[in-house]
Amino acid sequence: MKYFWIQLLLIAGSVSMALMFIRTWGQAKNRAWKRIAFSVFVVVNVYAVLRPTDVTWVAHQLGVGRGTDLVLYVMVLAMGFLTLNTFLRFRSLEKKLTDLARTVALAEGARHNDARLGGTPAVVAAVKVEVEVEPKPEPAETDSASASTSASASDSVKA
Amino acid sequence: MSQYDDVWLVIPAYNEGQVIADVVEGARKTFPNIVVVDDGSSDNSAEHIATTGAHLVRHPVNLGQGAALQTGLKYALAQPGARYFATFDADGQHQTPDVEKMVQVLRDDEADVVLGSRFIEQNGQVPWIKRVVLRTAASVSPTARKLKLTDSHNGLRVLSRKAAEQLNITMNGMAHASEIVGFLAGSGLRVTEVPVDILYTEYSRAKGQSLINGVNIIFDITMRERSR
Repeated sequence: MKYFWIQLLLIAGSVSMALMFIRTWGQAKNRAWKRIAFSVFVVVNVYAVLRPTDVTWVAHQLGVGRGTDLVLYVMVLAMGFLTLNTFLRFRSLEKKLTDLARTVALAEGARHNDARLGGTPAVVAAVKVEVEVEPKPEPAETDSASASTSASASDSVKA
Repeated sequence: MSQYDDVWLVIPAYNEGQVIADVVEGARKTFPNIVVVDDGSSDNSAEHIATTGAHLVRHPVNLGQGAALQTGLKYALAQPGARYFATFDADGQHQTPDVEKMVQVLRDDEADVVLGSRFIEQNGQVPWIKRVVLRTAASVSPTARKLKLTDSHNGLRVLSRKAAEQLNITMNGMAHASEIVGFLAGSGLRVTEVPVDILYTEYSRAKGQSLINGVNIIFDITMRERSR
């Protein structure tokens, strides 16, 4: 077998990738179709490594000279999809971050500006809300959490 | 009480500690209601803003000028009695008499949105290279053409409450200017331009957008059109 070592290397790579994927199975929220796609990818990978002539046969059917060329073209496509997917993922994360930061900024801003510029109604309301929360802390809450709740309540009373 | 109690100036600021307090106090002589959005500045902008009588809203992280404008508008919209909303630059290049002029157009109900333009009256203050680029940007943009705008990238705008409530800036970076024009073109709001003077000081020149940034803006806008 003159391809033995390279085949061993590639299959070891595929198998370890599959193992890593399975280990994060429960941690990441992988959609079902992603799991299926990845499983198919690994199986095809191992098959193609063991039977490179079959890939070349497929390439011939599609009018491509060699199996490796076909793999290259498919890889370019996959790369493009991956990039687009990552871009869209970042866009949606950025939007979430913006919404979160805006909400925090507006809430904090309203509180501080009322205290600093002398508007009173909103400050009173904010203190009232926090005091209402304080007397009945969730039983599941840790000591430090309830301590910080009362600390922030007393802070705003001072303000 | 001032005749401009119903006007809110929205000033996005990112690392403008050097000048922001002067700009805000200068503007407050005419406009009592100002909200400055500190866009996660790493300098002492927030401290300087806190010394003024302006409202301060701080982004916990830097998000970009478009995001800061949207935050400021949202804040101003929540203030009682607010009817007109002006976007104003933090670097001192805009002038309050222009804003007064623009508010008057809205008060007379001649428009829903008034945009500042550097090109309606030639005042010779705009550096020629900038003039060429900005005029090109305005004339190649289909939306700017539709509205017959001469200047699509002017940061001085005054919006009525109706317009401000509809506007939702999603482009966090500098592409928001084109996004706003695009929104206005499709909104059916009455848009008009008013000539304004821009003070190109040493400071604003140094802080202003480099022309190469125009490439980034075009890229951002293109991607937005695609991802719709």
